Amino acid sequence: MQTGLDWAAVLIAALVYLSALFAIAHWADRREAAGRSVIASPTVFALSLGVYCTTWTFYGSVGRAATLGIGFLPVYLGPTLLMLLAPLLLRKILRIAKAQRITSIADFLASRYGHSPLLGGLVALTATLGVTPYIALQLKAVAVSFDALTGGGLGTTAGPFLDQGFLIAAVMALFAIVFGARQIDAAEHHPGMVAAIALESLVKLVAFLAVGIFVVWGLHGGLDSLFAAAAARPDLARLMGSEAALGHAASGGGPWGAWVATTILSAAAMLCLPRQFQVMVIESTDERHLDRAIWLFPLYLLLINLFVLPVTLSGLLTFGGGLDPDLFVVALPLNGGAGWLALLAFLGGLSAAAGMIVVETVALSTMLCNDLVMPILLRTRPRALARSADLAPLLLAVRRIAIVAILLFGYGYFRLAGSAYALVSIGLISFAAVAQFAPALIGGLYWRGATRRGAIGGVTAGALVWAYTLLLPSFARSGWLPSGFITEGPWGIAALRPYALFGLEGWDSLAHALFWTALANIGAYVGLSLFDRQGAAERVQAAAFVDAFHPVSDGVTPTPTVQSDWRSAASVGDLTRVVARFLGPQRAGRAFDGADPDEPAGPERLRLAERLLAGAIGGASARVALASSVSAGAVEAAELLRMLDETSDVIAHSRELERKTAELERATDALRAANERLTELDRLKDDFLSTVTHELRTPLTSIRALSEILHDDPGLDSGQRQEFLAVIIKESERLTRLINQVLDMAKIEAGALDWRIETIDAGQALTEAVAATEALFRERGIALSVDMPERLPPVRGDVDRVIQVVVNLLSNAAKFTPPGGRTRLVARLGDGVLRVAVIDSGPGVPARDRDLVFDRFRQSGDALTGKPAGTGLGLAIAKRIVEHLGGRIGVEDAPAGPFAESGTGASFWFTLPLAVSPSGQGTGEPPVITRKID
Amino acid sequence: MSAPDPTPGHEPGSGRYRDRMIGLFLLAAALFNPPLLGLFGVGGSILGVPALYVWVFGIWAAVIALAAIAGRAR
Repeated sequence: MQTGLDWAAVLIAALVYLSALFAIAHWADRREAAGRSVIASPTVFALSLGVYCTTWTFYGSVGRAATLGIGFLPVYLGPTLLMLLAPLLLRKILRIAKAQRITSIADFLASRYGHSPLLGGLVALTATLGVTPYIALQLKAVAVSFDALTGGGLGTTAGPFLDQGFLIAAVMALFAIVFGARQIDAAEHHPGMVAAIALESLVKLVAFLAVGIFVVWGLHGGLDSLFAAAAARPDLARLMGSEAALGHAASGGGPWGAWVATTILSAAAMLCLPRQFQVMVIESTDERHLDRAIWLFPLYLLLINLFVLPVTLSGLLTFGGGLDPDLFVVALPLNGGAGWLALLAFLGGLSAAAGMIVVETVALSTMLCNDLVMPILLRTRPRALARSADLAPLLLAVRRIAIVAILLFGYGYFRLAGSAYALVSIGLISFAAVAQFAPALIGGLYWRGATRRGAIGGVTAGALVWAYTLLLPSFARSGWLPSGFITEGPWGIAALRPYALFGLEGWDSLAHALFWTALANIGAYVGLSLFDRQGAAERVQAAAFVDAFHPVSDGVTPTPTVQSDWRSAASVGDLTRVVARFLGPQRAGRAFDGADPDEPAGPERLRLAERLLAGAIGGASARVALASSVSAGAVEAAELLRMLDETSDVIAHSRELERKTAELERATDALRAANERLTELDRLKDDFLSTVTHELRTPLTSIRALSEILHDDPGLDSGQRQEFLAVIIKESERLTRLINQVLDMAKIEAGALDWRIETIDAGQALTEAVAATEALFRERGIALSVDMPERLPPVRGDVDRVIQVVVNLLSNAAKFTPPGGRTRLVARLGDGVLRVAVIDSGPGVPARDRDLVFDRFRQSGDALTGKPAGTGLGLAIAKRIVEHLGGRIGVEDAPAGPFAESGTGASFWFTLPLAVSPSGQGTGEPPVITRKID
Repeated sequence: MSAPDPTPGHEPGSGRYRDRMIGLFLLAAALFNPPLLGLFGVGGSILGVPALYVWVFGIWAAVIALAAIAGRAR
């Protein structure tokens, strides 16, 4: 290295960058809490999947390309292939995970196979052993790239406990604890962590592209000159052809096998790596986000790999064999004089490491806590746990200790293994470890008959063969085991050579291991499942997983014999206590709100409790916790679990029955409601007719009586005659008015009235209405006063109808105000409305009648005095008009004051929307002409 | 271009879209792997870039584009 950057500056830059990640994560958590999630976006989701690309991609791809040419690509082609199957596979997994409240891949497998704690623990253990060394690789990559960038400033001088590896492990532990294990959450979502991961994905992509562009165009003047320079060197020309990666097409085996095996393993790892399962399934907020990730994530992989080969060739041209190719990404810009770009590359690598470490430790700690530690604690120390009222602190402590332990283990492995083969090759070895979950995972989604024992057998066999064919040989190649273990087999038994098991020679070691692990794993899984019987719990869970898109199962026979046992099993109080212990008293209180604590819990509540607990501590632990909740002696824990299984079974079956019954009930209810409405309408029509005829008959009777007198008695004096005729005319007018109103009413009700809604001058309409009724008031000796602002703003309405409303209210007041009384028309501006009130000094409207006076033919006078004083339609019409115009109408006591001496008085009021917006600008809306046709 | 999902709300990944993605998966699995990769990944160069490199990234990009189009045409 010619010129290293100052190590202190690099350290500060790294710490500033990591602090920024903390800030982003904190901000995302705050946004989530405020209900404005930043991670609920398909792009962020796709970017968060980029946690797949660790330092093994960022630095390691170049290293692989230096020996394999395009042989580094299968690691990214595999996930691309898997994403193409997302509509089939991932969607189903997401759907199930949401329905079952899955917390990790161990929890997923345990839940599928009848909530088996054994399987969950096995998966958690395998994943931890297989993946933690991979964390060591990340620490090493950061340490080595730091040294490359600074020329070895810190790592060798500052003592064993202050190296970069320890520093990064400590910061990552802090991050994982703060954003990954801060609280026990029923949904196990970590929005802050996901936001930071998405940002890191962006940073590492930008960093790699920037380095690639700098190398190709800055150092070599374009792709063609770079490739031309490389082609001139036979050792480099080899990397540009297919031979390095694929070998001769005719040679079979060889690199061929490695290519195919790597493709398959990385596709499986994309699904089964704890961190991938975490970001893809557990943290997923919406399964529709997959639709974009299907192409966006492969595109991400393509872009981050675009410049791998150019950077490799450039590095080999520049440094020859003098530098580890893994460091080209940092070394090339540094050597080219672009220190800032080297720093950016280092931060990109740091992002890759940090993202992987944080998500992996959070996923593993959740798994270890829920599927290993808690089931053991619940089984071995049930009494100690039962005494504790709130177990959330314990859960958090377990997770935090697990996080620290995993990182310490990773750091220790890094210090121990150094640059041993066991560490360098751990990438694909850990892929192969987690790939052991794939058969049970995928089989469990589509094969109903797969059993718990089959899955346990498959994972165990696969993991053992993996350890024998990949892990132990890697130890041997690191010098920790005698090398004869590989070359001659243990104890000299040639058939047991780990790279040529049973004489299978000439294979690439990875393809060899893939073949044997797959054979053992799938063989045990299928074989054991075929000769095994499922328990009730397994049947239920198998149906729930396989039929995730068709929630009603059809292959399960109900066993309706369990109901009687429930009475003594558990009470609501028991359930509340156990849920409160893990999720806090508030959640528990909400879940079982309103139920008597002494009441037997019953199957549905037990299921609810199980689901709530599963979200916090995983399916297997949830069941054990539930079993421990039952009052001692009432029923055996095992018995309770059996009942839970059988109940689930019955519930699954009865659910469809319930659904159908509920549908039938809904239809019946709708029919009954429609029938009642029709009856009511019929009754209203009859009422209306009888009232109308009654109202019509009253004036008709007096007209007829008076005209008969006039007809029969020609000797009537002219004064009398004149008086009778006046009454006849008045009654005919009343009759006409009544008929007009009935017609109006009928039109409004039928929606056949023509409306011309426009901006109108309210003041003018009020004045017109007053002019039309003035005579009436004068005749009855009532004083009418008008009180309104000089200039009223325009309102929206139909001018004729508004006048009609005011006239109706005024005539109503004229009728009910005793002679000598007073009536006042008041108009005031309200909040966006014009409020008009007609205040009289009449008897007022009793509170109980206030809703009724606006009904047809409901007159206050009718009930109070027995003497009809109007048609009974005026107020009803006014109400319908006002409501059509978007206003409100009502009646209240007249305000105390001038009229207090003459009874309470009534104030009939209505509002109309102003045509002007509150800012004072006219809307200038054109008139709207509507004609409603029913 | 594409018929609507025949069972809406039932199995979201069903119908033509799902079938097309399975087809694309099989095509990509064949193209990404040795026999075809070795046959088409011949020597020579395109615009100065090794033909194999162009070929691998070309089909990769094409597969991604097809996946995006299939999703959009659904």
